[in-house]
Amino acid sequence: MLTTLKIYRYDPENGGAPHYDTFTLEAQPTDRVLDLLERVRDDHDGTLAFRRSCAHGVCGSDAMRINGRNYLACKVLVKDLGTTEITIEPLLGLPVKKDLVVDMGPFFDHYREVMPYLVNDEEPPEGKERLQTPAERELFDDTTKCILCAACTTSCPVFWANGNYQGPAAIVNAHRFIFDSRDRAAEPRLAVLARQTGVWSCRTAFNCTEACPRDIKVTQAIAEVKRALVRRKPSARR
Amino acid sequence: MSSLRTTLAGYVGYRGREGHWGFLLHRITGLGVVLFLAIHIVDTALVYFNPALYMEAIRIYQSTLFGIAEVFLVFCIIYHGINGLRVAFFDLIAPSAWAIYRQRVSVRWTLILTLILWIPASIRMLSNLIEHNF
Repeated sequence: MLTTLKIYRYDPENGGAPHYDTFTLEAQPTDRVLDLLERVRDDHDGTLAFRRSCAHGVCGSDAMRINGRNYLACKVLVKDLGTTEITIEPLLGLPVKKDLVVDMGPFFDHYREVMPYLVNDEEPPEGKERLQTPAERELFDDTTKCILCAACTTSCPVFWANGNYQGPAAIVNAHRFIFDSRDRAAEPRLAVLARQTGVWSCRTAFNCTEACPRDIKVTQAIAEVKRALVRRKPSARR
Repeated sequence: MSSLRTTLAGYVGYRGREGHWGFLLHRITGLGVVLFLAIHIVDTALVYFNPALYMEAIRIYQSTLFGIAEVFLVFCIIYHGINGLRVAFFDLIAPSAWAIYRQRVSVRWTLILTLILWIPASIRMLSNLIEHNF
């Protein structure tokens, strides 16, 4: 079937204002949007810039706005969109570098702030590994699935309005360690998320959960961090 | 990078689902209530500073335009209140309810409940308005 692709274009090096280019190409209903983008770059316009790496929904490189909603281009099929008119735009709320490529710097700054790694300076019991029960693991199982694609953070109305907001992805990755029984740095993470730019800025618009390509219950994770903040010892609060 | 332009582009252009529209309606109704409260505080203060102007303000309130605005004010208060309770319940009492299906259904029910309460109230208000102004 004939499919029309309307793609956001912006090339600061060659001047010119942001605009849209339209390409018409033959597509199968089972084609992924990423397949169409590659076909445009190969056959129509080699200057088109977009990120892709694994192309199988694991690396999280190709998150973009497709027909107004955040998806991974490698996970959404043409038939899923229910139309042959497809508009492709870069993620909202991050600076556009070129075409569909955004500057992920601010996103990763927020990610690093929550210390997204296991912190434990204690010796493991009997010098062996730190054991964990299935119930203890279950507490943070869902948030281990994040691939840092930024689909959640850039679908968040609070992040659009305030780039200093930590954003759903950083909170999800903080959640992954705050609720890990082996970790010892929940308090500094909670301190970051207790700030005005932390979890209390969440307005539960739920776009993040709807956008997550890994089906992480993002809003639930944020609510659980809020609850952990409320329940922490008064002496730990500033 | 965040600006009013990005925010408005997202508010209007992002094709979110029930949560997105529920959030936007919550913002709009919140602004409606704040606007009313601000006007109400000013006009009530006139009783002390300028009673004659206060009576003039009351006359303006009785006009048809303000009567219609009051009908929408009631919608704002009911929706904002019910949606606020929904969000507070999910966030404080049942975080596991933040799941896609339950979220979508709860937003729809919030709107239905708002309409159930608002429609009879608006019929009553509009009939009073017609009776007194026409």
